[in-house]
Order: sequence, then C-alpha cells, then structure tokens
Amino acid sequence: MSTTDDRPSADADGPEEPTNRPVPADHFREWVSRPYVRRIIVITVVLTLVIIPMAWLTLHFMNLSGAPASPIMSEIEKTMFVFTVVSAPLMAITLAILLYSIFGWGRVSGDKPPMQESPAIRGNRTATILWISVTSVLAFFLVVWGMIELATISAYSYGATPASDQPNSQKPLVVNVTGQQWVWTFEYPDYQGVTSATLVVPKDRPIYFNVTSKDVVHNFWAVEMGIKIDANPGAVTNTGVTPTKLGTFNIRCAELCGLHHAYMETSMKVVKPDEFDSWIREMGGRRTA
Amino acid sequence: MSTATVHEHVDVPQPPQHGRPGGYLRRASILTGLVGGIGLALVVYWVGSLWLVPWGTTNAVTNLQVGADALWAATFAGWVIGFMAGIGAFAGPIRWALGRDLTHADAEYLAGRDQGKWRYWRYTTDHKVVGVQYLVMTLILFGVGGFLAMLIRTELGVTWAEVFSPDFYNSIIGTHGIVMIIAMIIAITGPLGNFVVPIMIGARDMAFPRLNALSFWLLFAAVPPLIASLFMGGIRDGWSVYQPLSAQAPTGGVGYQITIITFAISTGIASVNLITTTVKMRARGMTWNRVPVFAIGIIASSVMGLIWFPMFQYSQIMSLSDRMISTSFFNPLGGGSVWLYENLFWLLGHPEVYVIVVPATAALMEIVVVFMRKPLFSYKIAVAGFAGIVGISSIVWVHHMYMTGWAPSTNYPFMLSTEMISIPFGFLVLVLLGTIWRGKAWARLPMLAVYAVIWNKVVGGITGVYLSDTPVDQYMHGSMFVVAHFHFMLMGAGLFGAMAAISFWFPKMTARTFDERIGSIGFWTAFIGFQVTFFSMFVAGLQGQPRRVLQFDGAFNVSNWISTIGAYVIGIGMLIFLAAIIVSWRRGPAAPANPWGSKSLEWQVETPVPLENFPVLPVVTSDPYDYGVPDPYEVKEPAEAEDAKVGAP
Ligand SMILES: [Cu+2]
Repeated sequence: MSTTDDRPSADADGPEEPTNRPVPADHFREWVSRPYVRRIIVITVVLTLVIIPMAWLTLHFMNLSGAPASPIMSEIEKTMFVFTVVSAPLMAITLAILLYSIFGWGRVSGDKPPMQESPAIRGNRTATILWISVTSVLAFFLVVWGMIELATISAYSYGATPASDQPNSQKPLVVNVTGQQWVWTFEYPDYQGVTSATLVVPKDRPIYFNVTSKDVVHNFWAVEMGIKIDANPGAVTNTGVTPTKLGTFNIRCAELCGLHHAYMETSMKVVKPDEFDSWIREMGGRRTA
Repeated sequence: MSTATVHEHVDVPQPPQHGRPGGYLRRASILTGLVGGIGLALVVYWVGSLWLVPWGTTNAVTNLQVGADALWAATFAGWVIGFMAGIGAFAGPIRWALGRDLTHADAEYLAGRDQGKWRYWRYTTDHKVVGVQYLVMTLILFGVGGFLAMLIRTELGVTWAEVFSPDFYNSIIGTHGIVMIIAMIIAITGPLGNFVVPIMIGARDMAFPRLNALSFWLLFAAVPPLIASLFMGGIRDGWSVYQPLSAQAPTGGVGYQITIITFAISTGIASVNLITTTVKMRARGMTWNRVPVFAIGIIASSVMGLIWFPMFQYSQIMSLSDRMISTSFFNPLGGGSVWLYENLFWLLGHPEVYVIVVPATAALMEIVVVFMRKPLFSYKIAVAGFAGIVGISSIVWVHHMYMTGWAPSTNYPFMLSTEMISIPFGFLVLVLLGTIWRGKAWARLPMLAVYAVIWNKVVGGITGVYLSDTPVDQYMHGSMFVVAHFHFMLMGAGLFGAMAAISFWFPKMTARTFDERIGSIGFWTAFIGFQVTFFSMFVAGLQGQPRRVLQFDGAFNVSNWISTIGAYVIGIGMLIFLAAIIVSWRRGPAAPANPWGSKSLEWQVETPVPLENFPVLPVVTSDPYDYGVPDPYEVKEPAEAEDAKVGAP
C-alpha cells in the first residue's frame, strides 16, 4: 500500500473531471463519493457495531456482585449503557481514520525525509462543520440525559416512589450512618437504642440516610444500591435508596481515610419486612414513633 | 520560511557598565548550593529545637506536638532558602540593590559561555541549558514515581497477603501520586518549552533568563523535602492530602507542603517567563497566525498554571498553618470546613490535567505536520480548542466534588461545563485527524507514537465523559475506574505524548541521533503493557473496587493480577526506552541540523545550537506548516485545474 497514490489518475479512485464550481450540496455529494471516504464510513460503521456490545460487557462487570439492587442502580446502569452507545461512533471514526491512515493511505520509510509531499489540505468546511456539530449535539444530548437522570435518582434518594410495581406508601426508614476510623456504625433513630455494625434494611421501603463522620472524611458507598456520599466531620450529608432486591450487599469506604481504609467495609442485608421487624426486636429496639 | 542565518560573531555595543565583573556568582554552583542548603537547614534545626519545641502547644484534635511540625517546616524552608542563596540565585538582586549591575561579561558567564559540561551544574541562564536540566530532572522524577508504581502494583498483585504495612503502602501511593504529578507538569513545558520555544519563535533566549534559572533550581530545591518526608513517616494521605486526614499525618507531611509551596513559585515564574517570551520576543514577521502551535499550547498551559497553581499553594499554606499554629481553616471542630480545602485543592487539581495534556497535544501537532509532509489542518481550530479548554477548565473543578455533599444542586451546572469541555477537546482531535487525513506517513517513532497517543486520548476522553455524568460518578467516584481513566489522560496522553515529543526533539537537544530501534521496542512494550494494565483496571472499577486500598474482595483478584502483569510490562518497556535515551545521548551518532526536514525555525539553526541561537535574527515570511503539494481533489476552474496538473510532481 505504501506506493498508493490518492491523486486522481486514470484509475477508478479519481473523481470525474470537474468543470465548474459546484454548489455546497454537490460538493458534499462529491466528497462522500470519494473512495477513501466511503471506505472510512464502512470501517466506522463496522467498528461502531463492534464497540456497542461493550455496553453490555460493562453492565456485566457491574452486575457480577448482584447489582442492580435498587432503582437508582438501574438508572445508573441505563446511563452507562446510553453513554457507551453514544460514544461508540466517535471512538469508531477516530479508530477508522487512524487505521486507514496506516493501512490505506500508505506509509514511507527511510532515514531521509520523504521527497514526496502529501496534499496541502488547510481546512475543510464540510468536515469541520460535520465534526463540530456532531460532537456538540452528542455532548448536549448527554448533558440533557444526565440532568434528567440526576433529577430522577435524586428523587429516588429522597423517598419518591420508584417506578416499580411495588406499592410504596410507607414513610422512609431513617438510618444514621457514622464513619470513624475504620468502622461504620448504623443507628436506627426510629427504634430506640438500636445500633449495628452491619446495615439491615427491609426490602421495598425507602431508606433515608443521615451520614456523618467522627474524625476524617470517609465515603459511604453502598455499591450495589448505587448510592455514595461523603461522611464529613462536623456536617451531615444525606442520601437515600429503596432496596428492591433481597440479599447481602457491600458497603465500602470510598475515600482514603488512613491506616486501615482498605478494611473499612461492611455488609448491607436486605430482608423481608417481617424479618426486619424480628431483627429489630432481637436487637432490643422499640418503636419510638 | 526565510531565515537569513549568518554564522559570524557580531560585536554588540554595550551600555556603560557599573561595577567590576566577577564576584560570588562565578564561584557558585550546585556544590555551594548544597553547602548553603544543608548548612542553613542544620542551623535552623539547631536554633529551632532550642526555641520552637519547648514552646510548642499540643494540637487539640490530634494530640500531636505542634512544635515538631513547625521545626521541620522551618528546617525544610531553611534548606530551600540556603540552597538558593548558595547557588547564587540572589547574587544578581543583591548587586543591583547595592547599585551595581551585572556587567556584560558576567551576563555571558551566567549564560554558560565556554564552560563545557560544568554549566549544567550551575545557575546558568541559557535557556538550552535550563531545558536539558529540566529533561534530566523529569527523567529522575519519572524513575522515582515509576519505581513506586511497581511497588503499588506488586502489593495489589499479591492478593493473598500484605506485602507492605498499610502505613508504608499509603505513603507510597501518596508519594507516587505527587511525584508523578510534578513530573508530568514539567515533562513537556520544562525541557521542551524552555529549549525549543525560544528558538522556535526566533528569540536568542527567554525574556527573563535569570528567572529561568531560578524556576529550575527552585524545582530542584523543592524535591528533597518530598523525598525526606518518605523517611519521616511519609505522605499517607494520597496526593490530594485531604483535610483533616492530613492533620493526623506524621511530621513528614510538612515535606509535602513545603514542596508544593516551593514548586508553585517555580511554576509561576516559569509560566510568566514562557508567556512573556512568546508574546514579546517573536522574530520579525512572526505574526500571531504564524506562531508555531506548540508555542501556543505552552502559553495555554502556562496561563492555566499561572492562574490556578496559587489555589493549590494557598491550600497547603493554610494546611501548614493548621498544623503549626493551630488555626482551623479546615478543621470542623474549630469552625473550619473540609469543603473549603476540597474546593481550593480542585481549583488547581482539575485544570492541572489540561496543564499536562494541552502541551502534549500541541507537540503531537508539530510532529504530525513534519511526518505527514502536510500543513496543519487548521491553525484556527487548534487555537480555538486551546482557548476553549483554558476558558472552560476554570469552571469544572466541582465534578471532583459531586459526592462530597457540599452543594448537591451545583452538580447540574458543573455537569454541563464538564461535558462542554469535550467540544474544544474535540477540536484538537479534529486538527490531529485532519492533518493525518490523506497523508502518507513517514513511519518513524515520533509519528507512530502519535497514533498510540491519539488512541489513549480518545479512551481517556470518553471515560472522562462517563465520569462527568453525576449519576455514573455516583457509582464510579473513588473507584479504580477513576484511576484507570486519569492514567489514560495523564500517562496515556501526557507521558506517551512526552515520549513522542522527546524522541522528536532529541537530536536538537542533545546533538545526537536517537536510537529508534531500542526506543521503539521500549515504547511499544510500554504501550501494550499500558493497555493491559488499565483496561483491566477499568474492569476492577466497574466491579466496585475502591481506589487506594491494599487488600480487597476476592472478586477483584483476577483483574488485579492482570493489571500487575501489565504494569511489569510497562516497567520493562520504560526501562528500555530510558536505556535508548541514555545510550543515544552518550554514544549516539552526531545528529544533522534538520534530520526530519522540518520547516520550523528550531531546525534551521545549527546543531549543537550555539549560545544565543541566531547570529542574525531571522525574518519570518510564513507559518512553519508550508508543506505539501496542491490538493488534486480541490475543485478548480478548468484553467487552474490544468495548472495544478502541470505543477504536481
Ligand atoms: Cu473511611
């Protein structure tokens, strides 16, 4: 390929002899009809189709530990999926041009600078407008999508009814989360005197967290629930979730907090409501309100 | 580009000289600097241990002796000031204050005239010497940071045991982080900004040659406190040294703060110098649309550094004050705020990524035009991209704080600004791809490296768009996904870009030909290892592995093993690349003045570049991208088309 010359000649790669300056639409049509442009479009489409399955692969890795266990996590995964699909064509066209540059337009080797120069292309209105408008439209689409999703998961965090068929009229269960080097403590202010080192919550009931820290900044990350908020000393931050899956999930500290940061993890058990009530009784709790 | 270069010595008439030449600055060198630095540090430590510690109060939160921190901060500051005095940094200002200026003979002596290799060990003002000094310093810092990276991956690969104590592990991740950040910030702007930019724009030196020497030696003086801190309990709080965690740090923590305060001064001075040089000292005829795009990238990077580095510096001055004299800027128990620290930190922390990536991208543009034998696709779009990044980068920092609970409602506007920055970033990719478009590549290492870097940049950019989205960040923040993402940007785009740039300008800087065979083996080995390491790390992050941990759930074992194997491959590749640099520098064949057939000014001067670069300053008549033959596809009027056909080779 290294001797391929893209200058028009007698071969099929060349354009028809132009006779007069075409209008922009014609110019675009002529540009798209060029053989290398067509080939790059084909490679881009193929690569896009290869990259899109990555969207399922990312979700596969996220779901290995049992996610999604809440509507919030489902929304996050949906967003991941959309982002991968939308970015795929951009990644594909970049790769397509790089690959076509190496294998299509050819290379020269040697110790001396090549005598043959390439076409002096200084700017191309069509390509520039296309590139800038496509990247801008995609970026704006992702911003709008992100904002809608953020509003949605924020609403879920603060007790809104998740979009599931579960009836959900109970008032949220409040849990006070305290991080300290290097353990988590969960306190249930609705039930007098119940504190626990693992988080036990009933399924399908909104949980509302007041998060704080006794010493340094920690980060409360309920992995499969898709919630995460810093635990700051001297301040209370809030988040919330409605668990929709039974099982045992992970809580990790996601902010470096000193010596045993790596071990600052515990589990979150999502149980049936009646199991939750009996657990509260076992812990000696009484309803305060 | 027309360059009237006449290689004759020209006697320049001198203004009246005040005072005799000679004096201390002729005796100063790194040796007197070390004597001064160590000497003053010892004196400060001795005096301080008599006075500071007995008076020390106890910090209310941490029960640490405040006096010890103050003592070590003063000792480190003593080292920096003593070193700078010893190497002669203050000789010029002192003479000026005494009513005598440096004579012309002194200025030439300072520039290193006829001093052979010894000038690299002195307070030399020649921008080419400073560039080479920065290059060696960069390589040393990458060596240290890379070695620590190997230790980190070893710990993470050995999933069945703790190789290091948690304390030591935490201090190696913190030190790796800050050493690599410093190395990356200087990697292109230091060696190439100093060596190449003045020649590129047709200047005889930087605008402020003595400030140039000052900026390098301040950087040099800033490093020992960082290394010393490793032996004083280390920097255990990550490179971000969040408060109030860092208030608990052992005394070594003040080493970090002195280093950052000093490094910020060095960066500010270097930025002012580079900006002024490019604005004021361009050759005749080098209008703004003819300035090489690399110089524009260096300006953009310097502007960001100049505006935002002080924020980082303030955060460390306030941290130091919290530690030393019990103020409570960041201590909630005393009415301070951890969010204040986080804001100040990320005000630099985010633009810093662009401080690193922008000059690397600009360097790629210079490389592509030469090896494609094509003009830059669009100078205006490139400059618009840099300008857009400089502008938007100042309003994105809160995306590092989405999950801090500081101000959840600000997540919306900062998500907007962060995703908008991908548009000017896209401009830069467009210019690179447009310049590659339809070119026949001259397949040499610098050009092939560009393909690798564009790939890394796109992976880093797209994963960055994921993280800019608050809902996704709610899962990814603080996970290994973030670590993999920023390594794609800082290492994949920044470091590999710097490797491309160094292999490109190596013949001009060292007057030796770079051994491309060994260099390519190293580069591609490191590149493959890099993909393995960090794609596997993306997987660990998706699975939910937090960053900065030394032990973790068994579910992450496989991806960590793969990452560790990849990291060793990177290590081997980097050592081979380093060997190529060292071997070529010592024994490589002499390089011709313009091995790449470039049209940029720095390749028109002879190699090795003489002192003051140009005997006669050049006059510039076009931009340096005047390559290529008429585009045969370009639609022409029939008559023009005939001309083009005749003119084409
Ligand atoms: Cu923690």
